[in-house]
Amino acid sequence: MLDVKTQDLEVNMGPQHPATHGVMRVLVRTDGELVTGAQPHLGYLHRAAEKIGENVEWLQYLPYTDRYDYLAAMNNNLGYSLAVEALMDIEIPRRAQMIRVICAELNRIASHLVAYGTYGLDIGAFTPFLYAFREREWILMLFEKICGARLTYSYIRIGGVFNDAPPGWLDEIGHFCDVFEDKWREYVDLLMMNKIFVERTAKVGVISKEMALDFGLTGPMLRGSGVDFDLRRDCPYMIYDEIWQAGAYEIPVGTGEQGVLGDSWDRFYVRVQEMLESLKIVRWCLANIEEGPTIGELPKTLKVPAGEAYVGIENPRGELGHYVVSDGGKVAVRCRVRGPSFVNLAVLEDLLPNTLLADTVAIIGSTDIVVGETDR
Amino acid sequence: MDFQALYAHLQAQGAAGLGGCDEPRAKDPEDKQDKGRAGDPFVLVAVEQLPAFLQLCRDDEALGFEVLIDLSAVDPAAEDEDLWLVIQLLSLRHRHRLMIKSMVPKATPCAPTVAPVYRAAQWHERECAEMFGITFEGHSDPRHILLPEDWVGYPLRKDYVFPKEYRGVSCE
Repeated sequence: MLDVKTQDLEVNMGPQHPATHGVMRVLVRTDGELVTGAQPHLGYLHRAAEKIGENVEWLQYLPYTDRYDYLAAMNNNLGYSLAVEALMDIEIPRRAQMIRVICAELNRIASHLVAYGTYGLDIGAFTPFLYAFREREWILMLFEKICGARLTYSYIRIGGVFNDAPPGWLDEIGHFCDVFEDKWREYVDLLMMNKIFVERTAKVGVISKEMALDFGLTGPMLRGSGVDFDLRRDCPYMIYDEIWQAGAYEIPVGTGEQGVLGDSWDRFYVRVQEMLESLKIVRWCLANIEEGPTIGELPKTLKVPAGEAYVGIENPRGELGHYVVSDGGKVAVRCRVRGPSFVNLAVLEDLLPNTLLADTVAIIGSTDIVVGETDR
Repeated sequence: MDFQALYAHLQAQGAAGLGGCDEPRAKDPEDKQDKGRAGDPFVLVAVEQLPAFLQLCRDDEALGFEVLIDLSAVDPAAEDEDLWLVIQLLSLRHRHRLMIKSMVPKATPCAPTVAPVYRAAQWHERECAEMFGITFEGHSDPRHILLPEDWVGYPLRKDYVFPKEYRGVSCE
C-alpha cells in the first residue's frame, strides 16, 4: 500500500499547536498518512539570554536563568550557580546544599508531572493531566512558602540559597513525600499501563542507542534508549555522590518491556520512575539535614576570578550546561547555555520520517521539550 | 582519566592538530597585572584539523568520547583578532570530559563542519554561524535557526550594533 505515490502535502504543525508545548513549528511533509520529512522551525521564543548574560552583572543574570526551562527553574538556578562557583573559591554550607538538593528534586517531580500530564493530553487522555496538576500544585505551594514565587524562583543563588526554610517547611515536605508515593502508584495504573496508551506509544518513535549518542541526547531521552548514565551518579556535583553512596536512589533505564527498547513508552516510563527516585533523594536529605548557615560569605559586589568553566547538571530534560567565561570583572565575557531541549529536539529531523502522521504528536510529546529552553 | 592523562594520551596518539593545553593556575604574587586563571583545563586544536581530532576522540577506546555535548563560540573582546570555537565532549563509559578550543580568525571566520563525526553538532553549528558569523564549510543545512533569515549582523560578537528597527518596527 505504501508504494502508491500520492501528491506530497506540506503541513505546518504550529507555531500555535497544543502538541508543540509552546511556540514551535514543525513543517511536516506527508505522503498520504506517511510522514516523509520533518523540519522543526524554532526561534519564536528567542529572548537572547546569552547576550543578556554578557550585559548584566553575575548576580543580576540569575532571574534570567529561571526563564529558559520554566518548568524546572530551581534546576536552572542551580546549574548557573554551580558554574559561577566553579570559578570562585567559595564554600557552600552543608545545609544550603541539602536545601538545594531538596528543591531541585522536588522541582524535577513537578516538571515530570507536567510531562506526564501533558503527554496524556497530547494523545487524548484528559484525566491524568488533572491528577498530575493537583500534586504539582502542592509542590508549587511549598516553593511559594520558601521563596515567594511559584514558577520563577531565583531561590538557589551563587554561594548557597536565598534564605533558610521557614519553620515547619521540612515537615510539610515529609508529609508530601508520604502522600505522593501512593498517588504515584495511581499514575502508573491510570496512564502508563493503560492499554490504549501503551498501544499509542509502544514501538513508536524508536531511538536506538547509537542514534541517541550521535545526537547527543541526554537525560530521560538517553536512558529511555537503555543507556545507563546519569550525571548525578556518574559526574557527581554537590552532595549527590554521598547520597548515591548511601544507596538512597537508583537510575531507572528503559527496558523495552512494552514494546521495543527506546520507544516513546520507555522514555516516558523512565520519567515516571524518576519521580519516585527523586522522592527517595528528598527523603534522604530530610533525614540528614542539620542546622547551619544557608549562604556562604560573598562580597557586596561580586567579582568572579578570570577563567572559564563548564558545568553540566542533570536537569529533568537532560544535561543543562553553562559555559561561563570571566575576565575578572563584574560582568561575564560569555555565558553560554546548553539547553537539553534544544539538543533533544534535533532528533525529530531523523525520527519523524517514515512514521504515520497520527504518531507525530506522540513522538513530539515523548521528547518532552520546553520551548523556552530550545530558544532561550 | 584526569586531564593530564587525557592530554598525555592525545600526545602519544599523535592527535591531529593538537597545539598545547591550558590549565588553571594561581595568581602570581610577584606580578600585579597577573589575574591567574580559574576553572577548567582545555586543549588547543588547530581549527582545520577539528574533524580528524574529534574522530580520534570518538573512536579511540581509551578516550571514548561518545557524545558531543556542546559546541559554541566566544568573542573574547572587540579588539581581539580571533574567535574561540569551544567544544565540550563527554565520555559515558569513562565518565570524563574534555574541553576543546580552536582559534578562528575574525578576518576569515571559517571552520570545517564536524557534524559528520557527531550529528549533535549540526544544530549547534547553525546557532554558532548566525550568532558569530562563522561559516561551517560542508554544513548540510546552513540556515538560521533561532534568528529570522533576514537578520543583519552577528549578535554575540562584541562589536555588534543593536538594530534601530526591524522590518519597519522601531527597536528604540
